[in-house]
Amino acid sequence: MATAHLETTIAPEKIAAMYLQYEVEQFYTHEAALLDHQRFEEWVDLFTDDTAYFMPIRRTVPRRNLSREFTRPGEMAFFDDDKATLVGRVQKLGTGTAWAEDPPSRTRHLVTNVRIIEDLGTELTVETCFHLYRTRLKSEIDEWIGRREDVLRRTEEGFRIARRDIYLDQTVLLSQNLSNFF
Amino acid sequence: MTIEAPGTTAYLDSLVNVATGELDRRIFSDEEIFELEMQHIFGRAWLFLCHETQIPKKGDFFEAPMGKDNVLVVRQRDRSIKALLNTCTHRGNAVCRAEEGNVRNFMCTYHGWTFGLDGELVGVPGMSDFYRDELDRTKHPLRKVAQLDNYKGFIFATMDPQAPPLLEFLGRTGRIAIDLLAERGDIEARPGVQKFTLNCNWKFTADNAFDYYHPQITHISAQAVGMIPSADVNDTGGAKTDEGKALGVQRLPTDLDTLVALGEYGHAISGPSLDSMLRTLPPEMHELVTWRQNPGPLAALGPVGSRFAGHPHLFPTAWFTMDAQISLRVPRSAGVTEVWWFSFKDRNESPEEQKAQLGRQIHSFGPAGFLEQEDGENWSQSTAQTRGGASRDIPQLLKMGLGRGKIIHEDGVARIEAPVNEHAQLWTYLSWLAWVKGTSWDELRSATTPGDYI
Ligand code: FES
Ligand SMILES: [Fe+2]
Repeated sequence: MATAHLETTIAPEKIAAMYLQYEVEQFYTHEAALLDHQRFEEWVDLFTDDTAYFMPIRRTVPRRNLSREFTRPGEMAFFDDDKATLVGRVQKLGTGTAWAEDPPSRTRHLVTNVRIIEDLGTELTVETCFHLYRTRLKSEIDEWIGRREDVLRRTEEGFRIARRDIYLDQTVLLSQNLSNFF
Repeated sequence: MTIEAPGTTAYLDSLVNVATGELDRRIFSDEEIFELEMQHIFGRAWLFLCHETQIPKKGDFFEAPMGKDNVLVVRQRDRSIKALLNTCTHRGNAVCRAEEGNVRNFMCTYHGWTFGLDGELVGVPGMSDFYRDELDRTKHPLRKVAQLDNYKGFIFATMDPQAPPLLEFLGRTGRIAIDLLAERGDIEARPGVQKFTLNCNWKFTADNAFDYYHPQITHISAQAVGMIPSADVNDTGGAKTDEGKALGVQRLPTDLDTLVALGEYGHAISGPSLDSMLRTLPPEMHELVTWRQNPGPLAALGPVGSRFAGHPHLFPTAWFTMDAQISLRVPRSAGVTEVWWFSFKDRNESPEEQKAQLGRQIHSFGPAGFLEQEDGENWSQSTAQTRGGASRDIPQLLKMGLGRGKIIHEDGVARIEAPVNEHAQLWTYLSWLAWVKGTSWDELRSATTPGDYI
């Protein structure tokens, strides 16, 4: 019987690891769906009150200067938000007069390569790759691909994002704004 | 209607009508006009490259645009600064393909010609075997900009050896524009220049710096969520429209007194006077502008200069903001502009003050800024409508306060005091016309010297 086979040949830690991987992936799929369905109030609830949402500037530098490819916290960035600022962004969309998102853009958040880097019990560090595809107005297309590094905190309501670092693969941005969430 | 031949002076003159406040929309999408701009404006004007604190160490470089040329601003071994064209003198390859970094020399990756930090050609592979020692290395250094200078640490260059000295080019208005940043304290560039691409003509980004007519509509959402600081004392707490009232939006103070400076070669400052700004800012933010009245800054800015709280713009493309940033608008084609945000801090400020300012800088402008997301929308859409065969025949209007701008000359500054107006925009285009016609420096200067009215 298949189940018996599973239980006898796969170590329990592996089953637990698979289950954790499943839970984390479910979380990200859910998060992406909230964004792509424009349910931003629910999305922003996924962040802890002490969250940090950070997208540094990436620079084209020689290989030997790679240590200064990304700006660091305390330097310039595209996003350096706390919870209040993130909520402010969501509220701005809700005014109906945030013209960059009205008419709203259509987005598709594809999240892949989910790797649990570290599990400290109350918090996990997780790395994901993303492809954010956006069309806006009649014919504009933007695409951003990159890597996110999250700290996910275990809470009674499930995972909450306690920190998100977003590393875009573009240096000079080819889009006219970053009016969406990553 | 007679259509003049493109490129002729008569044609260009027909594009800007200062008497009626009307512009021809072709100036925003015509590639031939763009080429004239590259040649006559970006090929001649002093252009902002970077700040000296961006390249503090020997061998540090920052790549800056000058029209379609790319220039490497390089800190030399003797700590001086040179600006070199980023093109190998052998066959033209870029000798550096990074935006910034640190190098010992620039080795071209095509055939290996190697240039020192000063641009001298120091290495040629096969010098004896292939060139039989007949190549004179001293004749083929990286080319330098025609003139390089800095004003209080802000580095500028021009490709025109005939251009007047930087200080003369800036004039009083241009110097005040820079002093409104430089005199804040001990200024240092923050690491990281935001760069993003807009599908718009660069002139929309430039003239918008003076436009205090748009915030109450364009930035209504930022206002609604409290991202535009407001003291809420100067108006009755009401929006101008029912829709605005429904949103609980305060009226933005666009009817306050505007102070305009018109400078030679096209520089201008426009926006609220210091007094107006103080009425709109909450008290805890007054320090953002009141430092201008401190003895040091006051001495540099003078009695008129210290009263400006609006937006200074150095012709052609550098906007110095109120909160220690420079927005450089980099034209890539008639329809594509990159916006580069340089951000500064005052080393004398406390870590808390520096952090608070960093937050304001990140959250106001740039592609994710609460304000500029909407600005970009206007510029790209306005540009798109200049391409239609019928749409482009509709004039672009700058009629607000037309002919009512009485110019007061005092302390070397030509200023206008009036409610919100479009004088500075009109000045920008009047100057643009003089530039793009390729007139001599003397003619250019006299054509852009403010008179009594605009
Ligand atoms: S092009 Fe640079 S070495 Fe040949
Ligand atoms: Fe604006």
